[in-house]
Amino acid sequence: MAADIHYFGIRHHGPGSARRLLAALEALVPAEVLIEGPADASDLLPALADPAMKPPVALLAYVVDRPGTASFYPFAEFSPEYVAVCWAVRAGVPVRFIDLPSTLRLQAAVPEAPASNAPEVPDADAPGVDAGAEGEGDAVAAESAEPSPTEASADELQRDPIGVLARAAGYEDGESWWHDWIESGAAAGEPAQVFEAVAGVMATLREQQLELEPLEARREAHMRLQIAAAARTAAGPLAVVCGAWHVPALKARHKAGDDRALLAGLAKCKTRLTWVPWTYPRLASGSGYGAGVAAPRWYRHLWRHGAGGEALSRWMVEVARTLREGGAPCSTAAVIESTRLAHALARVRERPAAGYEDMRDAAIASLCEGEALRWRQHEVALLLGNEVGEIPPDTQLLPLLEDLQRQQKSLRLKPEALERELSLDLRSDGGAARSVLLHRLLLLDVPWGRLLDAGSSRGTFRERWTLAWEPEYAVRLVEHMVYGPTIEQAAAGRSVARMREQNALSGLTALTRRCLEADLPVAVEAGLAAVAERAGHAQECGELMAALPELVSLARYGTAREIALDQLAGLAERMLVQAALALPYAAHGLDAEQSARFCGLLAGVHDCLPLGDFDADAIASWWQAVAYLSADRHASRRACGLACRLLYDAGRLASDELQARMQRMLSPGVPTVEAAQFFEGFFEQAVQRLLHDAGLLAVVDAWLATLDGEVFQEQLPLLRRVFSSLDRSERRHLLDRAVRPSGDHAGSGPGLRAPDAAWLAHEQRLLALLRGEGAWNG
Amino acid sequence: MSDMQRLNAEQRYAHELAALRADDDRPRPANWQLSPQRVVTYLMGGTAPDGTVITPKYVGKRRLMETAVATLATDRALLLLGVPGTAKSWVSEHLAAAICGDSSRVVQGTAGTDENQVRYGWNYAQLLAKGPSREALVPTPVFRAMEAGTLCRIEELTRMGSEVQDTLITVLSERMMPIPELDEIVHARSGFNVIATANNRDKGVNELSAALKRRFNVVVLPLPDALDEEVAIVQQRVADMGQGLQLPLPKNAAEEIARVVAMFRELRDGQTQDGKVTLKTPTGNLSTAEAIAVMVGGLSQCHFFGNGTLSAEDLGANLLGAIVKDPVQDRVVLEEYLETVLKKRADYGAYYHALLELL
Repeated sequence: MAADIHYFGIRHHGPGSARRLLAALEALVPAEVLIEGPADASDLLPALADPAMKPPVALLAYVVDRPGTASFYPFAEFSPEYVAVCWAVRAGVPVRFIDLPSTLRLQAAVPEAPASNAPEVPDADAPGVDAGAEGEGDAVAAESAEPSPTEASADELQRDPIGVLARAAGYEDGESWWHDWIESGAAAGEPAQVFEAVAGVMATLREQQLELEPLEARREAHMRLQIAAAARTAAGPLAVVCGAWHVPALKARHKAGDDRALLAGLAKCKTRLTWVPWTYPRLASGSGYGAGVAAPRWYRHLWRHGAGGEALSRWMVEVARTLREGGAPCSTAAVIESTRLAHALARVRERPAAGYEDMRDAAIASLCEGEALRWRQHEVALLLGNEVGEIPPDTQLLPLLEDLQRQQKSLRLKPEALERELSLDLRSDGGAARSVLLHRLLLLDVPWGRLLDAGSSRGTFRERWTLAWEPEYAVRLVEHMVYGPTIEQAAAGRSVARMREQNALSGLTALTRRCLEADLPVAVEAGLAAVAERAGHAQECGELMAALPELVSLARYGTAREIALDQLAGLAERMLVQAALALPYAAHGLDAEQSARFCGLLAGVHDCLPLGDFDADAIASWWQAVAYLSADRHASRRACGLACRLLYDAGRLASDELQARMQRMLSPGVPTVEAAQFFEGFFEQAVQRLLHDAGLLAVVDAWLATLDGEVFQEQLPLLRRVFSSLDRSERRHLLDRAVRPSGDHAGSGPGLRAPDAAWLAHEQRLLALLRGEGAWNG
Repeated sequence: MSDMQRLNAEQRYAHELAALRADDDRPRPANWQLSPQRVVTYLMGGTAPDGTVITPKYVGKRRLMETAVATLATDRALLLLGVPGTAKSWVSEHLAAAICGDSSRVVQGTAGTDENQVRYGWNYAQLLAKGPSREALVPTPVFRAMEAGTLCRIEELTRMGSEVQDTLITVLSERMMPIPELDEIVHARSGFNVIATANNRDKGVNELSAALKRRFNVVVLPLPDALDEEVAIVQQRVADMGQGLQLPLPKNAAEEIARVVAMFRELRDGQTQDGKVTLKTPTGNLSTAEAIAVMVGGLSQCHFFGNGTLSAEDLGANLLGAIVKDPVQDRVVLEEYLETVLKKRADYGAYYHALLELL
């Protein structure tokens, strides 16, 4: 045990400690490098130094028969562990992991969802977690299987002790503190001294700690045993790279027997390990990754260029560029001023060099005109970026595909290249499970199955699909690895990511419905939250009206499956009231195309009224709006017509009143175009009314009779369109009624006027139409 | 002194400033009375080394004050932006008091402010008698501050005409003021700087030109973060103003203040307090100052025409006036708020009905 062991306590993803570590390794040239990480992944380590491996990448460990139980160990180019591995491989020094192997670790994660969350294990299961609080340092992470309600303080202390210390010292970001206190503080100088200082701080911190979590204790025991074993065989100094938190425990003397006893008899599970590409946004703490950092790109900058001085100017230029790309003017002079302000701020705050907060506050004051909002708009692009890592093509990476294969087997769905039709009965478990799988794959851009008569089948228990497998689907699945290791998690993760980009309300509801069909409760919840927020901001009545039917069907569909949709009814109701309030304004100043669209939306909302579970007040306010619209002189005529009909159908407009109104609308004083629009709005989809309502027929007939030849011809296409929904016999019936007004029907309606000359001319054309002659063929 | 209506900051807080100055050993920029760190302490509150309690002058984020002080420590000018009632002038006065011990060099920007009030004017009797000379020249606060190396405050910068604003460009960038009539130049002594305040949501103001804007670092002072904080501010101010106007404060005023502030905050923030419902925001800014105005108006209505209890009817008209600034857009916003939020709250029923009636 006399071997020369050097402990390097690092800050995970801390560029400052990465730089120090590199210097220390170069000075020491150890015989072997031991790194905190799952011991059974040691074989994969050399691949990390492969030039084709471009960080950020993550080491993925998952349970073979339950890929949902998985851990990711991300590495960025500024992660000290990555730097250590690369150095060791380049220097030809053996390197390996010494932490608890994934076989033990994941087994522990399965049954009880252990409370402690070790530094490197991000939450693999909560792609939707959106803490988003910039500068918070850490979001409280959830463990793979279930979110664990741990005490944040103890948990955080273990995960990022430096960050906790930094916040206690009034810093928002651990790296600035590291730089100010560890690098430029008392310990400035030799790298070894720096690590000595860190270890000292940690020892003091750990004195406060009462009891270690069992998993933590086992991990540290395992590391101690591994270090001891390595020390026995080592031919020179040993370098141990681990989270600063662990250093005191690893240094302390423990009996090897006790450590072995801790590890004895632990259940194992079969795991598989592989590399997967990772992204910068997923390195951020906001993404739910417990050990994540607030601003990965800022850290990368620190790693590449250092802190303070020239590096700060460089970063400010980067900020300015991002702002300019975002469309904000940003002069070079302003960049100079912001750099100066950052330095001045550091002086006011009595810090040795400008750090993260100084940089941010300076950028807000002199580049964003003091508007924190503008900074926040560009923050994501600037601090998170969207870079994706790359891994060598020969790496084996299959958990998603494996999951798919397993599901294909259990559901007896073979991938076949040739098209095949599949009919599913959603009432049976097998049918529902297959449907869910196909829907999830659709969300992952893998259209293995295409839903036939999509939309119309909703609400029924049958779905018809055509299946055809293309080889490139496998590639697409690999691309979506970053969202999760199983089809379910990846589909949910990707949907949540897309919801963030989706701004249109109807798009959001549609996406949410798809998630509902794919049985992804997490994503559905996120979608509903997004819909609720977006609905509040929706300015345009059209947007609300477009989303309402979708939302109502969502509520109905949801009741068929067991998903909590309790807020949904309230939301739909609120949207209905909002739409009702905006309705009168929305119908103003529409051109023909817009009013057609508006009428479609209006009818859509109307159709969903009886389906939704609205309270009487909401319905009443809707009807009030429709009534207002029907009499609004400035509204689109077509919308007025439709509103009149809806009211009439619902028995809210008396038949005399309707006749009077229609007569007014179709009277000679009204420009023909407007009258025709009203006519279209009213009778579109409802021309049958004319068959049964002699009063209406008389009004319409009188109107048509007043039109002179040319004007009538102009309106012919419209009339054709309206009458096209009548079938042949109905048309004949209508004709009979029109030409023999007092005929067979026992004088039910008022008599038509005697035909004048103009009418006779029209009659010929109309008769031809109604008989289905000429170009128009009903 | 005591019969003055109001004392300057440096007079009122003279003991605090003296205590902070006593053993200030940290480096001070030229002509500063206090080190930047002590200036921040003066603004944010704390204790001086000799134990004197420093009252907080600004309640809010420390980093905003740090940015403001750091800006003044460089040779950049400081622009404090914010809606009315966010303590812009207050902060500017105290900054000047703490940094140079003199907050009285003020130019009040109005639509009628001309160049002579920013650069220098002439004593025309002297000018006619002796021709252009330094004796005939009437210096402005900006002029005097440059000569003395102190701070100059410009209130409501955006209310001045653009051409007047732009006379500041040379002063701020080249730190000198040419007097072509005398062929002389006034150079600013170190320590000179400008603190300007402006309203960022007012309509009908003169936008800063880009050239002037980039000579300022901007600090936006936000509205109070917490409901309780804001309610307390409103309560205190309403009580003060009620006293001044000799309006008695009805017993239930406190509850109604809490409700009005809650409504203001919900509309301003675009969401309900519980965060469950997103709302549209009206075009007006609904600042704390406006909540105060609504309450005072309501008090007056209640006192002269009401029954001694402050009711929603008393406040309704003022509320409507504060919320509906744009007759079309804001109406929809308010209607929506009434129908989707207030209607469902039993204790806001009176407001719902009062406002609905007025709409």
